[in-house]
Amino acid sequence: MTQSNGFHEHTLDNGLRIVVEQMPHVQSVAAGFLVRTGARDETPDLAGVSHFVEHMCFKGTNKRGWEQITRDFDDMGSTYNAYTSKERTVYFGWVRIEDLERQVELLADMMQSTMPSEEFDMEKNVILEEIAMSDDSLERKVYDLMHERLYPKHSLSWPVLGTTESITALSRDSLHGYFADRYHPGNMVLIVTGAVEPKTVYDIAQRICGDWKPATPRPDRVAPPKELTGVHKGVVDRFQRQAVGVLFPAPSASHEDRDVGDLVASILGGRNSRFFWNIVQTGIAAHVAAGRLDYCDVGMMLAFGFTEPDKADELLNAMKTQIAVLCEKGVTEDEVQRVRNRVATSLASEGEAPYYRFMQMIQEIDIFGLPRTVEERLAVLEKASPAAVREYLSNWPMSGDGAIISLGPRDWPA
Amino acid sequence: MERSETYHHRRLDCGIEFAAMEMPGRHTAALNNRVAAGMVDESELLLGLGSIVEQTISKGTASKSARDVSDAFDAIGAQSVGGVGRQSTVLRCGCLPDHLDQAIALHAEILRTPSFPQEYFDVAIQLAQQELTAMEDDPQELASRLIARNAYGPLLGRHELGTKETLGRISRDDVVSFWKKNFSAGRMQICVGGPIDVDAVADAIDRHFQGFGDSKPAGIENIPVEFSPGVRHQHKELEQEHILMCWPGVAATDKEHPVERVMLGILSGGMSSRLFTEVREKLGLVYWVGAWNEHPRGAGMMFAGASTTPARCDQTARTLLREIDRLAEDITQEELVRAKIGITAKMQTHGDITRARVGELSSDIYHHGRPRPADERKAEIEAVTIDDVRGYLASHPRDQLCVQTLGPRPLEEFQA
Repeated sequence: MTQSNGFHEHTLDNGLRIVVEQMPHVQSVAAGFLVRTGARDETPDLAGVSHFVEHMCFKGTNKRGWEQITRDFDDMGSTYNAYTSKERTVYFGWVRIEDLERQVELLADMMQSTMPSEEFDMEKNVILEEIAMSDDSLERKVYDLMHERLYPKHSLSWPVLGTTESITALSRDSLHGYFADRYHPGNMVLIVTGAVEPKTVYDIAQRICGDWKPATPRPDRVAPPKELTGVHKGVVDRFQRQAVGVLFPAPSASHEDRDVGDLVASILGGRNSRFFWNIVQTGIAAHVAAGRLDYCDVGMMLAFGFTEPDKADELLNAMKTQIAVLCEKGVTEDEVQRVRNRVATSLASEGEAPYYRFMQMIQEIDIFGLPRTVEERLAVLEKASPAAVREYLSNWPMSGDGAIISLGPRDWPA
Repeated sequence: MERSETYHHRRLDCGIEFAAMEMPGRHTAALNNRVAAGMVDESELLLGLGSIVEQTISKGTASKSARDVSDAFDAIGAQSVGGVGRQSTVLRCGCLPDHLDQAIALHAEILRTPSFPQEYFDVAIQLAQQELTAMEDDPQELASRLIARNAYGPLLGRHELGTKETLGRISRDDVVSFWKKNFSAGRMQICVGGPIDVDAVADAIDRHFQGFGDSKPAGIENIPVEFSPGVRHQHKELEQEHILMCWPGVAATDKEHPVERVMLGILSGGMSSRLFTEVREKLGLVYWVGAWNEHPRGAGMMFAGASTTPARCDQTARTLLREIDRLAEDITQEELVRAKIGITAKMQTHGDITRARVGELSSDIYHHGRPRPADERKAEIEAVTIDDVRGYLASHPRDQLCVQTLGPRPLEEFQA
């Protein structure tokens, strides 16, 4: 077992990694399993299976039926849930310190799910309802459209939920095969944050997970194309607003430029940003922002907003104007300092609650093995400067046309 | 491992009702400014005015431009987030403890000397109109707005955005008048928490708000709910039908309020609760289902809701209602204990978040007129018995129901 940068880590003989962050000042603990598989690790015939598996992990094990699983969570008063993304699946619970072992045992039992066939069809109905609910959301639909068009024929293009067709066609045997292939100790990390002793966590993990059998690693991922070009639009009459986006290549989640990319996004489209004063506060769009969307091997800088359909041109032009000004003139030291100040407060706030720390650590643990400390994250921002932004813009230019995304009632742009 | 928290509550010389929690060891401080100015204070012709005031109050002061105000908050890494409720407007702020004094000073400046520039007023109206359009793309919010009118009546059932017509009537002069009439020290409650020196914070508030309008305590009168039972539908082309139902509950100050919380825990507290188990897990009718309560001052309303594809909406509505009614028949001791732990354990885990604790303090001052220590709130939940829940259900029968559906088709076989 080792201690590095304030984090404690240990690997069981079967390959299960454990990462612990001690937060001695709190009175709760968050624990969960990161499973390193998501929608991009599926095959086309299994689109949506990672998310389906996540649902089924709540449905039964050799020790518990679904009712017992949910009762055991609720008997601790746990704040618990799970989510699936393009690259990972995460299960977690946030409990009182005295319930740590019960929480880890329950989550670990779910990682050994039997994927009970008698629950399969019922859960399929629930997921089909989730897809219908998602189809009523402009935000979800434009997110899916963006991936579908920008990464055609690549697994990043498939929606996390799957489609009505893929979920309807999915068999329980295929689901079980995928689960058996991906849910093994070498492909998982147990993460614990809170007022706990690392040794206590390691001992619990050894007792509960020590006999899990190792298996073959997840297949390697194929990198998607990095170029982002073209106009990609969809028309859905029932929405009242038009979603408009312009995208440029940006650092991936593993690239060293990612923090400066986030700084640029914050200055461009965060709080008290150029978008806020020049687009929101001129009445063009009530909601407009910029952000870096990243995966392990690719990233994009996304400027996007939602507006009334007849203002779509105005919104796109306004976003492009602000991007052009940023590329031409760079940023000021005052703007960089404002972001530093905001981040300092948000990191202090994050450090108060094990649940927030747990959520923040997941991506870095997945990509790098260990997260950065609050101090390390602040130090990176201290070094950031207008010169660093200029260098970023030279490495990750936002001066071309980029890719345009549009979805809403208007068939736009023509 | 319980934390020590010390509570303070007093009326300051400037007229503000002040409550504070000393929370040693915390990393942040939190500040809640509540002004007794809400949607009920709007003229019927100018609905949405309170929200326009809240949106524009930080867009310039006697000595700062709109951008200067934002930059001043950013200089201390703080943000003021506002919201308008039925009877009050709240500005919340989290910051590092060392910056609390500056955060108080900034809030005092925007609340006392707003300049309401015409250009930002004009934009606020445009953005509110856009938010009304955006709500059409948010079925859950739209259904909530629709049911509120019948749940609470024309006064308490108002929506913060008003309507396109009422927004179109609002002038900058209306904004200034609303602020002059409703914003003063005597109409304010300020709650603070964190690793703070309470007397120093109280002094700072007194200093920054001294002379802010009328210092005489204004108080907030309770407004009666006007409940209109019935089943109503609004057509909208959607993939799912949204179903909301509500019935009167008890006020936050009612002695049966803890009983209602436990009963809600049994109905919808976690994945083992009755609604999740019966509607989702056993029948697979929905992805989302839930129940919750809301509390205008001096009143309470119970809600249940779900969204499902249109062909299943009648069965979903029937199942929701059956589960609500079944509560009176067969609650078990096991369910009661689980619901109580669900509430008390979350008091401990979520209590790690400073701004969440200060939010609770602010709610206690608003509803109860005093701070309620965590131990007191925990004890009243732990004291609830099965007989209490049965007694609550007997004395508050679900004999009147307000149902709102939004989607492609109305309920066909449903009888409230």
